[in-house]
Amino acid sequence: MSARIELLREAQFLGRDRSLVLWLAVVAVLACASLASGVSEVHSQQVLIDSLLQADREERERVLDAQQDWGSAAYYSFHLTYDPPTEFAFVALGRRDQDPWKHRVRMLALEGQIYERDSSNPVLALIGRFDFAFFAAFVLPLVLIVLLHDAHARERTAGRHALLLTTSGSARSPWRQRAQLKAAGVFTASALPLLVISTLQGVAASTQLAAACALLAYVIFWALVCGFVAQREQASSVLLTILLGAWLVLAVIVPSGGRLLVDYFQPVPSGADITLTQREAVNDAWDLPVETTMDAFVERHPEWIGMTAVDEQAFEWKWYYAFQQVGDMTTEPLTDAYRAGRQRRDELAGIVSLASPPALLERFFQSLAETDLTASLAYEAEVRRFHADLRAYYYEQMFRKRAYESAALEDMPTFNPS
Amino acid sequence: MSTYWLIATDEIRYWRRSRLALWSTILFMSVLLATVLITTTRIETERNERMHHQQEAEQTFLDQPARHPHRMVHYGHYVYRTPTPLALFDPGLDPVTGQSIFLEGHRQNSAMFSDNSASADFGGLSRLTPASVYQLLAPLLIVLLAHGAVAREREAGALATLWAQGVSGTTLLAGKGLALIIAVALVLTPILISGLLALTLGESPLALLTLLAVYFLYLSIWSLLSLVLSAFLQQRSTVLAMLTAMWLASALLLPSLAVNNAAQLQPMAGKIETDFEVQKELRKLGDGHNADDPAFQKLRADLLARYEVDNVEDLPVNLRGVVASESEAQLTELLNEFAAKQMRSETAQAGLLHNHGWLAPTLAVARASRAVAGTSLEDHHRFLREAEALRFEFIQGLNKVHAEELSYIDDINRSNGEEGDKRSRVDASNWEVLNDFRFEAASAQQRLATAGYPTAVLAAWCLALAVGVFVAGARLRP
Repeated sequence: MSARIELLREAQFLGRDRSLVLWLAVVAVLACASLASGVSEVHSQQVLIDSLLQADREERERVLDAQQDWGSAAYYSFHLTYDPPTEFAFVALGRRDQDPWKHRVRMLALEGQIYERDSSNPVLALIGRFDFAFFAAFVLPLVLIVLLHDAHARERTAGRHALLLTTSGSARSPWRQRAQLKAAGVFTASALPLLVISTLQGVAASTQLAAACALLAYVIFWALVCGFVAQREQASSVLLTILLGAWLVLAVIVPSGGRLLVDYFQPVPSGADITLTQREAVNDAWDLPVETTMDAFVERHPEWIGMTAVDEQAFEWKWYYAFQQVGDMTTEPLTDAYRAGRQRRDELAGIVSLASPPALLERFFQSLAETDLTASLAYEAEVRRFHADLRAYYYEQMFRKRAYESAALEDMPTFNPS
Repeated sequence: MSTYWLIATDEIRYWRRSRLALWSTILFMSVLLATVLITTTRIETERNERMHHQQEAEQTFLDQPARHPHRMVHYGHYVYRTPTPLALFDPGLDPVTGQSIFLEGHRQNSAMFSDNSASADFGGLSRLTPASVYQLLAPLLIVLLAHGAVAREREAGALATLWAQGVSGTTLLAGKGLALIIAVALVLTPILISGLLALTLGESPLALLTLLAVYFLYLSIWSLLSLVLSAFLQQRSTVLAMLTAMWLASALLLPSLAVNNAAQLQPMAGKIETDFEVQKELRKLGDGHNADDPAFQKLRADLLARYEVDNVEDLPVNLRGVVASESEAQLTELLNEFAAKQMRSETAQAGLLHNHGWLAPTLAVARASRAVAGTSLEDHHRFLREAEALRFEFIQGLNKVHAEELSYIDDINRSNGEEGDKRSRVDASNWEVLNDFRFEAASAQQRLATAGYPTAVLAAWCLALAVGVFVAGARLRP
């Protein structure tokens, strides 16, 4: 009997296995459900961004109209910054549920603003969404385990094991083929919805290919683990238990231990210290001589040397904003350490997750979807850049004592996400 | 009774001989004990750190030098949410909600810096706590112990023998159930480690007992479910595969699917969205920094009339302080309205999510556990409300100082050189308006009331399955 005919025979045989068909249907339905809810979430995020952008523009125009000087204009007007979801974000919503991806900032010290969280419901964030990345990384292996653990044991119980051994060509082929076909079925039932919906969403072919390859490698990994365990001459309940134990270790225990170790060996400064330091610096400035603030200020902005004279008898905005900036400068070492620490933690997590395929796959999907920490930090950097532009713009008006007029308002920087 | 006991002890003897039962128990217990140790250390460190930060923040505020009182309104203050005693068993929402809030005049800030935002990212299942070990892993252990209860006897052909000896199906299942109750009780004992520690931190014994009861109900559900399937299905392997599928549905699938559902069916406006609405309402109020704002004309006229003077300079109080106080009160009323609305919609969304507990007992037990531990949404909201109450209190205290301790003339001349600056400051002893803030767990009664509904869901599951066991027992034939 040729290998192809044999394979075909096994496929027909499996096609009549009602529980297998049911499981594959469940996989397909769950894949579709995870993708559909991802698509709808991403869509509502886009709609929200559009409506916020409009509200933001209207609000700012209204506020700017009512002002008489640059200082108040900068004080009372906010700017929306945001990180739009990528085309692939619906597959892995990742950190978008816990890290901020939108802010409204103004020209005051940024450190007091950038850690504001426009967060979703914490109960939902605690449990986490059912997105495709979660489904593939954590649920799919369990389906494979249930389907593949008793390949040998079932025949043994049914008393067919010896017969099958003697009638087929080699000692392993009927089980191997059957397991291969089942795993292929699981892969198809999950990958097909992913590829179809990705195509509909206009995801780049290279991204789709990368995702499909990762998923395939992942299914093969678990099929091999199952195949390896299923060969043991033991009762199927023992085999299932061993495989559940393997899942537990790889999907839960290694990631939990990894998180603990990484957090322990790579400390980050407490976030609260950043805002505390910033507050002290900004508030102390009220009582410091103007020159102290201005000297520190022009060190960063030498272009304003010689224009920092302030009338001590009255309040001057340029001094106010200078000490806001100096406040940010004071916290820079902490802020940098906070960012670098998180980045380093993420790199270490990437290394440790090599020991946990589920975490690895989820992280891979998140990096494809740009919903990982790298993306969060990139957005944070964009907000900082925009804030710096905003400062440069207002400094120009204030230090040069320009008249407050609508023509100059048109040059105000606008936030453009990359 | 003796027959039940005989069956039960026989089942326990079987477990003691089974390597499968032995190794899964060892694995479970080691994970659990490690988690208890780690979570206790982590939460205790957090408690000490946040407590320390809190005291430091209070001292820093009191140590501020003489200043213009409104400077202190903007200087602001920090409050920290210290973990409740039972948080060392179930930290609940602690890692996903901000731990501290900056309190200042004219604004209600959100809680910043959650634990999760800076932690290494290993996905959703990477934060094991004693509570999640019980919610997620303990059912697997119970299922492994229980799935063969009847199916094993059937496969070995022992059912007929038992039948011939006059052991009815109901008696057999009751005996097996008794063994499982003992197993569940043993599995639950490590809760006492965290529990007793919590008692030394001032937790009420009633809460601890309820926590035990909640998890007892939860694990009983899995025991009863295993018994029913074990009695109805022919093969042990089918029973185990079915139970694994149910565990997968209850522990992994349904909770996160419920999140999708709740987010979609009960959408919630975010903070920025709400801020625009707040802004719109705020425009109707005046600017409290500007005593000449037309919005405060009536206040000014009333004051002048009350004290029978013609000029604000002649008032015995500082108009600017009175205006600041009045405007803060109006603003706070408005902000509180929006905050309450936000909390209501969060509660409604969470309520929809928790209703899925009727389908997935894991959701119900998680909800009940957080409620008893004082780490649920209700507790976070209470933290926000208490922080806001403190904010309003000290801001208004400072505004009172502004109105009564600083003259209007000195106030408007505050930027007038060194002398003007000096005269616009009030003594640092005035900063005593700030009260201490210690976040503590709600009363045990209050927490138990919150836990009532999800516990009833668990009890309903138990009851329905107990009926199932009876039916299975009555129909059990060799």
